[in-house]
Amino acid sequence: MAISEEYAKEHAKSPAVLCCRAEKGVVLTCHNLEDPAIFDDLVDSGLLNLDGVLTIEQVIGATLQDTYDSLTPLTPDKIDAIQEVKEEKEEAPKAEPKAAAPAASFSAPVVGGTLKISIGEGKDIHVSMPLVSGGNGGAATATIPSEGGAPVATVNAEPKLLRTLTRHHYKITEVKRGPETKIEGTTLYIREGIEKDAIASQELVYDLKIDIITPAEYHTYSETIMDVQPIACKEKGSELGSGITRVLDGVIMMVTGTDANGVQIGEFGSSEGILDENIMWNRPGAPDKGEIFIKTQVTIKEGTNMERPGPLAAHSATDVITQEIREALKKLDDESLIVDKETFEQYRRPGKKKVVIVKEIMGQGAMHDNLLLPQEPVGVLGARPNVDLGNVPVVVSPLEVLDGCIHALTCIGPASKEMSRHYWREPLVLETLYDPDVDLVGVVLVGSPQINAEKFYVSRRVGMTCEALEVDGAFVTTEGFGNNHIDFASHIEQIGMRGIPVVGLSFCAKQGALVVGNKYMVSMVDNNKSEGGIENEVLANNTLCHEDAVRALCMLKARMFGQEVKAAERKWNPAVKDSNIELISNVTGKPIERVPNETSLPMSQKRKEKYS
Amino acid sequence: MPMKYGDKIIYMEGIIVRITDGAVGIDLKGRLGYLEIPMRMLITDYPIRLGQEVGFNMSFIEQLSDEPNETYVNNQINKKRAAEQIRSAGKGETHA
Repeated sequence: MAISEEYAKEHAKSPAVLCCRAEKGVVLTCHNLEDPAIFDDLVDSGLLNLDGVLTIEQVIGATLQDTYDSLTPLTPDKIDAIQEVKEEKEEAPKAEPKAAAPAASFSAPVVGGTLKISIGEGKDIHVSMPLVSGGNGGAATATIPSEGGAPVATVNAEPKLLRTLTRHHYKITEVKRGPETKIEGTTLYIREGIEKDAIASQELVYDLKIDIITPAEYHTYSETIMDVQPIACKEKGSELGSGITRVLDGVIMMVTGTDANGVQIGEFGSSEGILDENIMWNRPGAPDKGEIFIKTQVTIKEGTNMERPGPLAAHSATDVITQEIREALKKLDDESLIVDKETFEQYRRPGKKKVVIVKEIMGQGAMHDNLLLPQEPVGVLGARPNVDLGNVPVVVSPLEVLDGCIHALTCIGPASKEMSRHYWREPLVLETLYDPDVDLVGVVLVGSPQINAEKFYVSRRVGMTCEALEVDGAFVTTEGFGNNHIDFASHIEQIGMRGIPVVGLSFCAKQGALVVGNKYMVSMVDNNKSEGGIENEVLANNTLCHEDAVRALCMLKARMFGQEVKAAERKWNPAVKDSNIELISNVTGKPIERVPNETSLPMSQKRKEKYS
Repeated sequence: MPMKYGDKIIYMEGIIVRITDGAVGIDLKGRLGYLEIPMRMLITDYPIRLGQEVGFNMSFIEQLSDEPNETYVNNQINKKRAAEQIRSAGKGETHA
């Protein structure tokens, strides 16, 4: 199929191949040329050989020497003369010599190379350094325009502190059952018989068992893990997202369950099994090795595991227990029990590049839902399901995210699900919040509805939200894979078409390859960590980690400063991530610690078979 | 895991015969089986209704090895046992 003039310009450097039969003597135009997007498949299948082929810009305007059939690659012998490429000198923005900033020279970084900046002489030189990265099989290297000189940070207004959030950490070393729920020193007691209250609170809950799993019991069987939650409460007078939050260290809540027929709540496939073979320790959303789990095993009415009220009932029943622990935590008035205080500050940084994080969360219904903005961190009371909110974008502050404003009911594949705890330690939010070079305006949560029309409805709202926020760059993240990639692509398109650079983050690799794409999806970061590039059923294995956040942030900065991000390779190639990480650490001088993957766990029989 | 017949892609059709909040059940046309998939794996341009036809590409399903996977065998046994326990415990009880 012929291509348009505009498309030909965009793809001026792509191979020139005839789209249909063309007669001898024809002067070639874009109407004679095939869309380069289809060439990779043709080359792969051996139908097309692009050796020695000219580029589109080299053939347009040339005369064909003979009559050729469709899909003939245009080589120099087939045309009269290679067309001279017009130098498109786009009035290179002349380096306005800033006051006393002479002689700054750059050498562009190459993969694995170093960035050298030599400044002969000067004072008050502010260099904002665009770093570069790539993802989803896409290596990225950038060239820093040597002409324009260094992008100079022009405004240096004082950062403005909007709000703070302080976490008071209380250490728990032992969890016991007792006559009442209380905290004594570092021991947490859970009331005997609390299960009855939890069961009675939900009509659909038939049974609930509490298991206290200490490290000695890690090697035991568990039903599929639905959620991992921090145990935290707000201090009196503090609202979610600011003030003081009390949190228990060394212990987490874990929700598991089945329906009365023994069918796992959650989704499909078998993710139940031995705990220590199925958990990727220390991921943002996973338990840390050494922590005690208060694990509920909820049995809900048969057949409700796939209906919306079922999984919600399991979460709500568990929260009865968590809430009683929260009440006990609120009662503590012994300052000496606080082992650590951690303060998060939300700054706006006027004059810096404005950045927004769009987090796509599941909203297809049933267990594809999230409770937003509860009264207590990761609580139930006061929260609204994002499905009921119509999945439309909801703007929250980064501190609300870190304070547990999302109670994740989502039960997608365990390796890529963002657990409630994930948001509590969300790496991209933390990384962006503390980067002095960018101005994080907020976090936009948007649900992923089921029907395409609704997906586009919400993604247009995302585009408008970003337009109204007047951001210079945006991140779009999603969890899992499936039809949520349709709106993921659409969000990126809606933001990208407004001229805003976007970096997308998702698990893709082999199994989660994107089902759709568009021309704005050029900067992607793949969250995959698994060796095989698949959903490997190991809890939180393929979720967004610090190393992904760093790559995404570097990539977005590069894009915001006008750098090019190299196109992705056609097939998933994990080496791209390695070279990007190396590139970033070479430029920043800071090594990036890589998280381990499933190969660090005791090899279960199933993984032995999968990977041997 | 390499497959022998992985590239034999076949166009298939099915009928939506079961709808829950989280999943759809699909009868494959031509008595070729039944498939239940999570909502997020179904691409929908219209509201989902019983009797709608769906299309997809699939391939043949091959065994990956001779040996049953111990973990999955154990999971099956556990599941059965748990279901039996629940059933016997639930006898005579009324749920509020």
